[in-house]
Amino acid sequence: MDIEELKNEFTGHVFDKIDLKVEEESLVGYARACGETQPRYIDPEHPDFQAVPNYPTRIHGTRGLPKNFPIDMHRCFDAGKSVTVHAPIRSGDQIQGRSEIADIYEKTGRSGGMLFIVHRMNFYNQDDVHLATVDWRLVQREFD
Amino acid sequence: MPEATDKSFSDIEFGEELPELSPDVSLENVKLFARSALMMASRFISHEKARESGLPGAIVPGIMSQGILVALIHNWAPNAEIHNIDTIFRAPLIVDTKPVANGVVTDIDEDSKVIELDLMIKNEKGETPVVGTARISL
Repeated sequence: MDIEELKNEFTGHVFDKIDLKVEEESLVGYARACGETQPRYIDPEHPDFQAVPNYPTRIHGTRGLPKNFPIDMHRCFDAGKSVTVHAPIRSGDQIQGRSEIADIYEKTGRSGGMLFIVHRMNFYNQDDVHLATVDWRLVQREFD
Repeated sequence: MPEATDKSFSDIEFGEELPELSPDVSLENVKLFARSALMMASRFISHEKARESGLPGAIVPGIMSQGILVALIHNWAPNAEIHNIDTIFRAPLIVDTKPVANGVVTDIDEDSKVIELDLMIKNEKGETPVVGTARISL
């Protein structure tokens, strides 16, 4: 498998979109279950009520990898997530997540080769304000 | 735990440790998270089903672990604005255990006023299944 070819073919363009309305109950339950105690994240009556910063990580697109991507999603494991916050997500927001492959790279360890795929979702609200970027690192071991 | 108060940039010292947090990863609480996040996969909410698939028990969703680290930061500095949080899931965190979350200040940028933190969740064996970093401002 040629990594450069994969990058050239699959990175840098949106391959999936998903729309979702942000519900108050979901924001509160998510924050409380994580142990959040600050009113701006758990009290809908707070004037600055908003989602906890990593809330958009719960949103997945309709597919994890682009059509015809030569890796089986089910052979990958979740190696981590990075969230960059650009603006608060509010209850009632109608948000859209746009998926792209941001990077593909390989690492070699004692147990062999590992392929890293960075699935990036950018989130926008109903006014097209950029809310957050979530990078989801998928790893497949023993690829060839 | 004493109630935290808002912090200013000048309050923060390099190497400062965040107060330890003992998160609730009981099955009941993980189910609350799973419902809120629409992640009702059986590996998160059923020990029996998780064991059937080869896991030692139900596992805490990775993004819940990340949320616990967010709460750790806010419990230390309620006014912290998190610009970025990056977590690595090294091993499963098991439901109905007693993990602890810790953090430490690793960099203070006087120009940008951005503070960097190293974060981790340890399990009862002292292993660190979740590690992370965050960039915040106050």
